[in-house]
Amino acid sequence: MESITGLLTKIFGDGMSPMALLISGGLTMALIMSLVMAMCAIVFTWMERKVAGFLQSRYGPMRVGGFHGVLQPVADMLKILGKEDIIPDEADKALFMLSPFVIFIGSLMAWAAIPFAPGFIASNLDLGLFYIFAVSSAAPAGILMAGWASNNKWALYGAARGAAQMVSYEIPLALAAIPVVMATGSLNMNAIVDAQGGGVLNWYIVHDPFLFLAFCLYFIASIAEVNRGPFDMPETESELVAGYHTEYTGMRFAFFFLAEYANLFLVSCIATAVFLGGWHPIAGPVFLPGLVFLIKAVILVFLQMLVRWTLPRLRVDQLMHTCWKVMVPLTLLCVLGSGIWMMVSGELL
Amino acid sequence: MESILFYLFAVLMLGSAVMTVTSRSAVAAAVWLVFCFVNAAGVFALLSAPFLAILQILIYAGAIMVLFLFVIMMLQGPVLPDERERRPWSRIAVLVLPPASAAVILIAWLARGGVTAFSGAQPAVRGTAEAVAELLLNRYLLAFELISVVLLVAIVGAMALGRRKEELPWK
Repeated sequence: MESITGLLTKIFGDGMSPMALLISGGLTMALIMSLVMAMCAIVFTWMERKVAGFLQSRYGPMRVGGFHGVLQPVADMLKILGKEDIIPDEADKALFMLSPFVIFIGSLMAWAAIPFAPGFIASNLDLGLFYIFAVSSAAPAGILMAGWASNNKWALYGAARGAAQMVSYEIPLALAAIPVVMATGSLNMNAIVDAQGGGVLNWYIVHDPFLFLAFCLYFIASIAEVNRGPFDMPETESELVAGYHTEYTGMRFAFFFLAEYANLFLVSCIATAVFLGGWHPIAGPVFLPGLVFLIKAVILVFLQMLVRWTLPRLRVDQLMHTCWKVMVPLTLLCVLGSGIWMMVSGELL
Repeated sequence: MESILFYLFAVLMLGSAVMTVTSRSAVAAAVWLVFCFVNAAGVFALLSAPFLAILQILIYAGAIMVLFLFVIMMLQGPVLPDERERRPWSRIAVLVLPPASAAVILIAWLARGGVTAFSGAQPAVRGTAEAVAELLLNRYLLAFELISVVLLVAIVGAMALGRRKEELPWK
């Protein structure tokens, strides 16, 4: 936020009161983050369809916008804006209308603590990483509300699966980040990125073997956390129509869609900041930090798409088994192992 | 600024708490309770206890309320009928109990010195992660670990009681 408030002071002079500066800076950052979320949906839907096409030996969208259908998402967006907003007669109307925004706000709030570049972070919280995990835990409640309010058995099944999956996979997700917090000694996102400066060898992913394992576990858990294949149990189209958003149309459906792609980018941004050195390049001094950060995050998004279109879907019991009996013990091992590693290598204070 | 935010959070918290107990639908009550917890987290954050505020959202608004919603939805939470006719005493209770509890709180507040007791008081401990960790993992380590063991025993006990006798079909 410092860079934004600095810019605002430059434009409007020193006459602004600190409170006005705080509010206008905050609103500007919220607007930028909403735009980032919208851009995620636009860019990644196109990318997703191209990746899917590539893996299935076909082209994907080719017609709209000349080069490889780049304007396809814009056409899709215009179409979805023109759709009728249908609310089922038997639905719980208030909850039905509220739930897309609960999910969207949970995602938007998490963006407040992502450090895109030095000084470009909406809120430099001391507890940044912890805050991100906390606000993204609001999403299961939104999914349950959507599924229950639709008054549709597929939606309810999808919501129950989705919420159970997200509540379960939050645990390995947060535990996998704990070794990094131990190594940095801080939950502040800027401090975590700053500690990885000076070349690829200082990134936490190669800090010790346990942190490499923690990164792999984080990556798997993050795919499950954003409900994407092979863990897309909440919206298995072959058995549940479309899961918890079966009954949604038009803009309300677009909000679910927006939140899904924004969360996909969000977990990749967290992985970039926490394990892959954030805005620090592979070698040499910091240059174009925002771009470096974006490239790393988009590579992770690309990997998630490859996984989604390559692997078959898990069964519900296999999903829960993977989480509680494989990933949670392994993340606990990572925490213990990197603690011992730090003690032996003398890093511990 | 801080007092404006405090009154905003406090009014929203109390309002949603009232909605929680007056909602006839169990799901609506649970959703109002989530909103109440979020506002409580806001009050904690204003009381310079950010760690507690985030825990409030993570544990209560995130995990516990999701479990509540699960149970309510799976058991088809009932929409309560209007029972005002069947229980005439409830109307008198509604008229008497809130003023009585307000009077008790007012007396307690005045006995502690009214407005003067709280003005300008600084919090003794800042509720940062470091401060909480210092207390939990140094000063009260034994109690903290004992509580974890008690909770673990409770979890294992619940699993043992809830387990089905026959083997699961997919094993």
